[in-house]
Amino acid sequence: MTRQDAPADRPEAAAPAGDSPERAGEFDPALAAAQEALVRAMAAGAPVPDGFDEAAVRAAADAIVRKRAGEVARAWPVLAASYGTDWPRVFAAWAAGRPTRGSVRDAWDFARAHRAELPPEAAFDLALAEARWAYDGQRAPRRRRAAVRRVPGGVAVQLLGRMRVLGGRTRR
Amino acid sequence: MSTTLTALGVGIGWRPEITAFVRDLPGLRFTEVIAEGVHPGHPPRDLLDLRERGGAVVPHGVKLSLGGAEPVAPERVAHLAACAEALGSPLVSEHVAFVRAGGIEAGHLLPVPRTRAALDALAANIRRTCAELPVPLAVEPIAALFDWPDAEYDEGAFLTELVERTGVLLLLDVANVYANARNRGQDPVALFDRLPLERIAYCHVAGGAEQGGRYHDTHTAPVPAEVLDLVAELCARHRPPGILLERDGRYPPAAELRAELDAIADAAGMERVT
Repeated sequence: MTRQDAPADRPEAAAPAGDSPERAGEFDPALAAAQEALVRAMAAGAPVPDGFDEAAVRAAADAIVRKRAGEVARAWPVLAASYGTDWPRVFAAWAAGRPTRGSVRDAWDFARAHRAELPPEAAFDLALAEARWAYDGQRAPRRRRAAVRRVPGGVAVQLLGRMRVLGGRTRR
Repeated sequence: MSTTLTALGVGIGWRPEITAFVRDLPGLRFTEVIAEGVHPGHPPRDLLDLRERGGAVVPHGVKLSLGGAEPVAPERVAHLAACAEALGSPLVSEHVAFVRAGGIEAGHLLPVPRTRAALDALAANIRRTCAELPVPLAVEPIAALFDWPDAEYDEGAFLTELVERTGVLLLLDVANVYANARNRGQDPVALFDRLPLERIAYCHVAGGAEQGGRYHDTHTAPVPAEVLDLVAELCARHRPPGILLERDGRYPPAAELRAELDAIADAAGMERVT
């Protein structure tokens, strides 16, 4: 359809064609609500809004989760490697319905949610990250001035950005 | 509307995984860098070197959300402007898409409805952005697996009106044109006849994969022959100033990537950069 076919009862149809900066700069609550409904459907588990091809929207949402799994694997390779070829599936199962907050926080939130089952390498990384950064799971992580954390095989001590792991274990 | 377009030639997207490959391409004069990954105070040395050799480095934004109903975030626009300054860029690029709404991140580029209301919001955001940029902006129509219901425009008419209203340049992704047409059973070439081709600042090409009966533009596979044919088809109508390969993973051996760049140059009738 071209614009000439637009229903005449739409408020926009009364506006002059071409440039209309006054109106173009206005916030459009209907468009905002429609976009939010679509994002909620794709990222937060809400139903697909009426009129869309539901299977196609779901396929696009699945593709986004696969892309997020790849981005998290790049941000935190040891974490993804802990799951081997299962990584995309395990991550997708956790991430579906959870909108991204960036690949670092996706990784961090995932690691915390799976803390009990993390292999030592990934658990070690998580402990080091938590010694370096204060992260409440809600706001962006903030750098800690100092911290002491138990890590697999020892204790991590961080002071002004310098990290020491006591207890024999060192990073490969 | 009389922006002079910079001649760019064949390029490849600069990515952390292939910096050495990109740096060592003897004829390369054009690359693109994901803007959100650049610290304008410390741009990657290789990019500054390319700039010093007379090359063009285009910051490519992915999170501005130009198509969102909400106004673009001033700090994101400022970052794009700072990247252009730091890299001496001839232009910057972004997408005809939105990536968040109501405070929720979609995680990727989502299509906008092809309606007057969405065009108004997009045009307003493009104006806000261009007002702060030191260089022209090119916008890229995306690949989408679905469309919004109740479209008031087809893609060609929507983009043409956007260009007319804002004076924005186009970044035409030939692989997106291919993917959209393939997934909708349409003729990709038809779009070329509906767009103001002289407003194309440069093109993208990339490879994808079929999954679940749909072609996904993954950027992790070689550029298919069909996309190279489309490049030739486009260049026969109007050769764009540049064409850039996007590769975002499963990087092949250097020789394969070089051969791919050569195939793109040959299809476009441009000089090889390898």
